[in-house]
Amino acid sequence: MGHAVEARRLEKRFTRRRSIRDILFHPFRSPEAVQALRGVDLTIREGEIFGLLGPNGAGKTTLLKILSCLVLPDVGTAAIGGYPTSREQLVKPLIGLVHSDERSFYWRLTGRQNMNFFSTLYEVPREARDARVDELLRKVDMEEAADRPFADYSSGMKQRMSIARALLHDPPILLMDEPTRSLDPAAALSLRRFIQDELSGRDRKTIVLATHNLHEAELLCSRIAILMKGKVRQIGTVEEVRRWGLDTRNYEMEVDRWPVEAGERFAVLSDRSWEDGRRVRVALAGEDGLNLLLAFLMERGVKLRSCNQVDADLEGAFARILEAE
Amino acid sequence: MIRVAAKLWAFIVRDFQQQVSYRLAFLLQIGGMFLSLGAFFFLTRMIDPEAKGLDGMNPFEWMLLGLAFQYYFSTALYAFSAKVRSEQMMGTLEAMLVSPTSTGLVIFSSAAWDFTYAGFRVLLYLGGAWLIFGISFHLENFPVLILGVVLTLLSSVGLGMLSASFILYFKRGDPINFFLSGMTTFFGTVFFPAEQLPAFLQGVSDYLPITWSLRVVRGALLLGKGFAELKNDLLALTVLTAVLLPAGLFLSRIAIRKAKQEGSLVQY
Ligand SMILES: Nc1ncnc2c1ncn2[C@@H]1O[C@H](COP(=O)(O)OP(=O)(O)O)[C@@H](O)[C@H]1O
Ligand SMILES: [Mg+2]
Repeated sequence: MGHAVEARRLEKRFTRRRSIRDILFHPFRSPEAVQALRGVDLTIREGEIFGLLGPNGAGKTTLLKILSCLVLPDVGTAAIGGYPTSREQLVKPLIGLVHSDERSFYWRLTGRQNMNFFSTLYEVPREARDARVDELLRKVDMEEAADRPFADYSSGMKQRMSIARALLHDPPILLMDEPTRSLDPAAALSLRRFIQDELSGRDRKTIVLATHNLHEAELLCSRIAILMKGKVRQIGTVEEVRRWGLDTRNYEMEVDRWPVEAGERFAVLSDRSWEDGRRVRVALAGEDGLNLLLAFLMERGVKLRSCNQVDADLEGAFARILEAE
Repeated sequence: MIRVAAKLWAFIVRDFQQQVSYRLAFLLQIGGMFLSLGAFFFLTRMIDPEAKGLDGMNPFEWMLLGLAFQYYFSTALYAFSAKVRSEQMMGTLEAMLVSPTSTGLVIFSSAAWDFTYAGFRVLLYLGGAWLIFGISFHLENFPVLILGVVLTLLSSVGLGMLSASFILYFKRGDPINFFLSGMTTFFGTVFFPAEQLPAFLQGVSDYLPITWSLRVVRGALLLGKGFAELKNDLLALTVLTAVLLPAGLFLSRIAIRKAKQEGSLVQY
């Protein structure tokens, strides 16, 4: 199996635009800059659903835009199907980009008119166009609404149109930027099924899915990369990433109160109110760690109601990686 | 080539479909156009037909063509930058640029409809003048006229792309646009012949494509001049086009490249 996507040492720095006034009053101040990517290395294999997981501002969108030739990296290279992204004519036929925002369509036109316009840009031959557009509208279940103005569509419908557009030229690789971000839970569920069964299962597309939703990544992705502040912190199968840094075990305990010093001594994953006490999840160094914590709590007169060991999950890994920063 | 034409056509269809939803605005525009036509008819009666530079042409007819072409050039200047700006805001610029369509073609085609529409309005304007004021045009040198119009079109596309590139590159209001509109109005021989200007300013007109467009169109339509008499004007227009169009294409690629470096293809 070949490599669908390869990124090597990608770096990207954005400078914020300065207003004329700012330039006039502070001519020598250098503009504010954001380092969006700090040396990203990735390899994505053909046919997999690859999750690009990270909080807002981690650099997911920037990375996807570099892969789709919309942003030029400052340092490093990216290749799609073996071609460097600098060779746009070779790369563009291989990729379909599903934008994260709902704009990027002509709102005064109908869904079908939009699709017809973009199909010409995607070089679908005129005689095949109507059939292709119909087929895709059917595929994303937009047949009935196709002749209504785009402005009237719900978020879910707009997102489905965005997917249909990205499929016009039948690219082997789909880059999806938080496709479920603005959807309600039911719509998100059905979109995930569609990605898994249709796009990945039936059409065998390679899918790069940017998301900040851990649950979504666990459900869909075969491999994931955890991106934070422009760096890949972990990369591997979901199973591998889950277990990362697990010389510790996670416990969930219900206590009547949780002393502040406990948070300083032990790795707290989550801490919330529960009935008239607190439910706290901690990562501990095995049984020794557990006994240490118990002794610590007893000493302070904390009343323990229950204590369970919990399985490793992506959330825990995420918290550990954050902690390791 | 067929592919390029198909894409160009798709842009025209796209904007026509959007325009259809503004029918009332269209009718109002046409109404306004004919009112101004009337105003200029009476205004130009105060002009001395023997004035220097009119070369014996009727002042109303002379100015009528000037106005029609000024309208055309200002559309060109305005349409590109306005389109590119709004597509940047809508996110559709990015959507077009991920497709396997070249940057130059996307920018070039973005104002195709505005040109078609402006051409249509110019025809209406001239047709209206012919109907209402009984102007007679010389149409015997039609091929020369067409050549002049095509060169006018291409040179104004070049100017428009320059102004769109400026907007993309500097991401702010477009002084070039403002400057060129002003220059066109003042030096473009729209309202008065260059010969009326002080001698040291007359040369400025020679650098504006509209000056040569108008010499060709006025010569052919009002005086019935043929290719032999207009070939110097056509040559000048060709030279300006040969500079402006490639410059526009080239600079728009540079501007898009800069936008890709800055991540500013989409603006909020
Ligand atoms: N065009 C841009 N100009 C300036 N800053 C930008 C631009 N694009 C992204 N950024 C900044 O780069 C960082 C990464 O952004 P992004 O890639 O959108 O993250 P994500 O998609 O993971 O939320 C953020 O801090 C964001 O504000
Ligand atoms: Mg994003």
